[in-house]
Amino acid sequence: MANPEGSPVIPAIKITENLTRVAGVLQDMQDAGELQPMSPGIPPAAFVAGGPMLKRFDESTITSRKGSQAATPPMSVKGIGGKVAKPDYSDNKIVLAMVGLPARGKSYLSNKLQIYLSWLEYDVKVDFAFQSTLAPRTSRSHTFSRLKGFQCRAITAHESKTTGSPGTESREKLAQDSLEMLIQWLKEGGNVGIHGAPPENFCSDYQTHSDYLDNLDATNSTHARRAWIEQRVKQEKGLDIIFLESVCDDPAVIAANVALKVSSGDPDYKDMSPEDAKRDFLRRIHEYERVYETITEDHLSYLRIVNVGSNVTVSNIHGYLASRIAFYLMNLHLKPRSIYLSRHGESQFNVEGKIGGDSLLSPRGMQYADALPALITDNIGDAPLTVWTSTLRRTIQTGSKLPYPKLTWKSLDELDAGVCDGMTYEEIEQAYPDDFANRDDDKFNYRYRGGESYRDVVLRLEPVIMELERQENIFIIGHQAIIRCLYAYFHNLPQADLPYIKIPLHTVLKLTPKAYGCDEERFPLPIGAVDTHRPKPKAPQPVTVQPKTARQYFTPEEAAKITGALKKE
Amino acid sequence: MVAPLYTTESGLLFHAGKILVLTVGLPARGKTHISRALERYLRWTGVKTQVVSMGDYRRKTLGGAQKLPPDYFALGAKSDETEKLRKSVAEGCEQLIWDFFDSGGQVVIYDANNGTRAAREALAAKFDKKGIHIIFLESWCDKQEIIERNIRSVKISSPDYKGWDPDKAVKDYYGRIADRERAYQPVEELTWPSIRILNVGEKILLNVRRRPPPSPLVLTPLKKIQGYLQSRIVFFLMNIHNRFRTIWFARVSSLAAEPHASNPDKHAQQSGQSLIEHSYKADSDLSPAGWEYGEKLKDVVLKRRLKVLQERGIDPEQRKLVIWTSTRRRAHHTAWPFLSSPLPDNGDKESEENQETPDGTPLKTDTPLKPTELLKNPILGTVARDAPVNTPRILPVPDSIAPEGLTLNSGKSTPGHQSKHSKSKSLVPDQIKVVEKTQMLEINPGIWDGLTPDQAKKYYPEDWERFTKDPYTYRVPRAESYHDLSVRLEPILIELERETEDLLIIGHASVIRCLLAYLIGLPASEIPAIEIARGDLLEIVPASYGVHSRAFHFWDGPGRKGDGSGQNGGRDQNNFYENYAEDTKGKRISFTDGATFENGFASQLHHLGGVV
Repeated sequence: MANPEGSPVIPAIKITENLTRVAGVLQDMQDAGELQPMSPGIPPAAFVAGGPMLKRFDESTITSRKGSQAATPPMSVKGIGGKVAKPDYSDNKIVLAMVGLPARGKSYLSNKLQIYLSWLEYDVKVDFAFQSTLAPRTSRSHTFSRLKGFQCRAITAHESKTTGSPGTESREKLAQDSLEMLIQWLKEGGNVGIHGAPPENFCSDYQTHSDYLDNLDATNSTHARRAWIEQRVKQEKGLDIIFLESVCDDPAVIAANVALKVSSGDPDYKDMSPEDAKRDFLRRIHEYERVYETITEDHLSYLRIVNVGSNVTVSNIHGYLASRIAFYLMNLHLKPRSIYLSRHGESQFNVEGKIGGDSLLSPRGMQYADALPALITDNIGDAPLTVWTSTLRRTIQTGSKLPYPKLTWKSLDELDAGVCDGMTYEEIEQAYPDDFANRDDDKFNYRYRGGESYRDVVLRLEPVIMELERQENIFIIGHQAIIRCLYAYFHNLPQADLPYIKIPLHTVLKLTPKAYGCDEERFPLPIGAVDTHRPKPKAPQPVTVQPKTARQYFTPEEAAKITGALKKE
Repeated sequence: MVAPLYTTESGLLFHAGKILVLTVGLPARGKTHISRALERYLRWTGVKTQVVSMGDYRRKTLGGAQKLPPDYFALGAKSDETEKLRKSVAEGCEQLIWDFFDSGGQVVIYDANNGTRAAREALAAKFDKKGIHIIFLESWCDKQEIIERNIRSVKISSPDYKGWDPDKAVKDYYGRIADRERAYQPVEELTWPSIRILNVGEKILLNVRRRPPPSPLVLTPLKKIQGYLQSRIVFFLMNIHNRFRTIWFARVSSLAAEPHASNPDKHAQQSGQSLIEHSYKADSDLSPAGWEYGEKLKDVVLKRRLKVLQERGIDPEQRKLVIWTSTRRRAHHTAWPFLSSPLPDNGDKESEENQETPDGTPLKTDTPLKPTELLKNPILGTVARDAPVNTPRILPVPDSIAPEGLTLNSGKSTPGHQSKHSKSKSLVPDQIKVVEKTQMLEINPGIWDGLTPDQAKKYYPEDWERFTKDPYTYRVPRAESYHDLSVRLEPILIELERETEDLLIIGHASVIRCLLAYLIGLPASEIPAIEIARGDLLEIVPASYGVHSRAFHFWDGPGRKGDGSGQNGGRDQNNFYENYAEDTKGKRISFTDGATFENGFASQLHHLGGVV
């Protein structure tokens, strides 16, 4: 394909003005003898993976490190990209102890925090006793609230075998053990441990199973308990302790929380009428309130959130991660709202199978843009809505017909494919089979040369997430990789699956955040489009999500399995 | 994260109206400091922000405290004349606020006492009626030593006390504020959104919801705008500290790999390289000269650092050096020598002398070094005002460094330490940490990648014209504007404020420009014109008010400046955003050119409202 000197022809380009200009520049360079001619079929760009230049460039640089002073020179760059390492967060180590009465939204807050922080690649773990012995060590983030019911049950079963009945002493031991395990885990490389240990004799007069369960639910609510935790954590160098207190004095918020708890499938209330359950629950809350001690210890690092963010007290909070946590919690709200996600309509590059670029919509894509307003207005009615698009023309065009305020975000631009921008997958695969296999191997961490990885995109989307948490109804018209990342955040999907989430063209996804997850609805529009989903080789199943918004408790079968495991120990 | 993630045509935040931040607090509580820090931060993020300082206005219009009637600061009934004066000052300030709002400004921070509930309520209501959103920002202290230190370091050096005996001035000042202290009412009402800061950051209280007093008024719903700005302010305030540290900036060596010498097709190769090696997408390696640059950088930074720490009496072994680079290969390869090369021994006399002339670092002699180009004298003075010494954060100091840490005011050191570490090696490798940050990539040139300025001008005349008219905000197709870059860098900025260890940023010119503009307080529109020469080490020492900055010249290899040395002039020729400043002579703000920077500095002082 490398044509000797006289071959002058750069493919005739009449696609867009820009391309003509680029072609002109290239012609210029070629005339000056600065540029090798390119093979036909490859978009004219100064520097792309398909051209011979990249390979020649790599060859020419292999020996460039001669004469260097470095003892062990790093490898020379080659090819079109490579995997990137996880950023170093090893300095951030925090024990976050939850404080608050039941039905104050503690688990909501810790749940959101856990999703947010693990999405940002911090290692987050929520301790409940026996967590580390039961949950596989390999899983990066350990769910917390969902495991509660199960954990407690396991403990009860375990203890009833060993001590007969759960007593204060063993509860104390339990709290200690779980904190110890959490500290150990942080020392081994974790970043944030959320500690919600059982309090002291909050309900020593309650001996029933369900009371015990709830006893565990109330947390760290006495001065003595907090002093003990503080003193223990301070023994460890490099660990910080922060108390996170959730207070509600707004009866409406409490009532909503109680209703949620009672209706969310708590097994304790399985056979009770909702009214009885509610009464029982309120009675217990009342008992707790008598012994509850709010944080007045001024030397402690703490964060107090009143009525989910309407008042916030930040005391002695110093770390970067800690302040970030505070910032996030300040931006949360509980107002009902929906987030609509859609990819842009089918673009010319989609039709041609090319990635990246800044092309306009195809005719079918334009149809989608025309059909969107009716779909959205039908769905949302008179409620206010803001449309966010990227700065690329295909998203702006897709949203152009919508009768709502529109904003463009640079941060919503598609994953930058670097030197591969404007190529088809087939072209990349042909030109760089090894590199491409590498990408399939670990798509999340693969960074295109001169471009981005999914990991980079997640980082760049963090401000968008923060803003989304603050906003109400939002319609995001984005790109495949961008929507995948946002979708993974709202459904708390693991990183490895993220790049394979199927987000079809010409479909609107509606996410409605609830206390323990998101409800999802899909509105596919009957306008044909190419399928741009590239499934993971050897894993034919695209990632599908079963949205779960109810709080999940483990079934008796699962619990039995665990207690069985415990007995064996 | 950043405030103007997107701006509307009017230049306002899309979701925000105009906001008035009313500071509340007794004198000497650090209100001014917090106001200025906030102003700097918000401005950098692109929000048009202005501090209106009642004290400055009063001094400017009425003169120092001596020229005022004796009952000016007193409580209770005042003479008619005094009342008139006070009224004229208040009205003058309010007029300034309106002027700024009317000229397109978005946030005004009104730096005044507002110590009584009635007074601030009246003021807030007045602006609220006109559709301005109100936030109270209270700074209060219950620790006498903080107040005393503040008075000594700031207030008595103010023009009001020019030529006074310090102790007398302090006494006078206490007298001046005594009445106010008795009359002071902290912000306990929940009628307006508020931020309350205790003991410069020890505790922060936030009231987000507006709760009007029970009245026939309709209940005002939660105002999102204030909530957003509030959480942003709090996040910012939580991250600033005043532990002594130094920040250095150096450009990435862009001396990318050169063509293989043995390649016969030399001409073709070279011209090909001239296109590729600086391309945004190429992500190329360093050339031998580039590696030498890295070695030199290491040498000069370690020596300079040792010297700075010794001057402060801080044991270098107690401090870490953190190095940030981008994920570009040539960026983190420039940092490579810090981790891989043997450490220079700074214990002996000879190298002590060498420290005085960091340029003459005896590393390699095969690169052209001009012995005459010795360490330049500090180019800048201090960017500082009559300001509080305390910043909104006093960090807890670990016991191990307590004796010599945090010695912001005393340059003294323990003799034992001096002799100890003058014999020790300057650093051990595990005290150096290199962190790659994806947000620190150079500015993306979009479709202009690979073009020279001439080519861009030729083929994109319209874009070129708009770009040169407003290089800060104009976004070439698929490229990033400097504004986009600032938004991308905002998390880095917070981490920069947060970092307590010495920091070396090996950055691309565009990134350094943005960060430097923030630290020094240059207006955003000037960011693209800041010239940063390769081979200069910029040193920034955050002080109580602004920064001290100096530049050291340490390297003279090819491509030091965009002056045409070598074929490519050593510029990132094909991402000319990267050296836009060098391409636009006459408008430059240069760190190696003392005079022009002075101007920038002076204009900044002017921005701050005119000191003295």
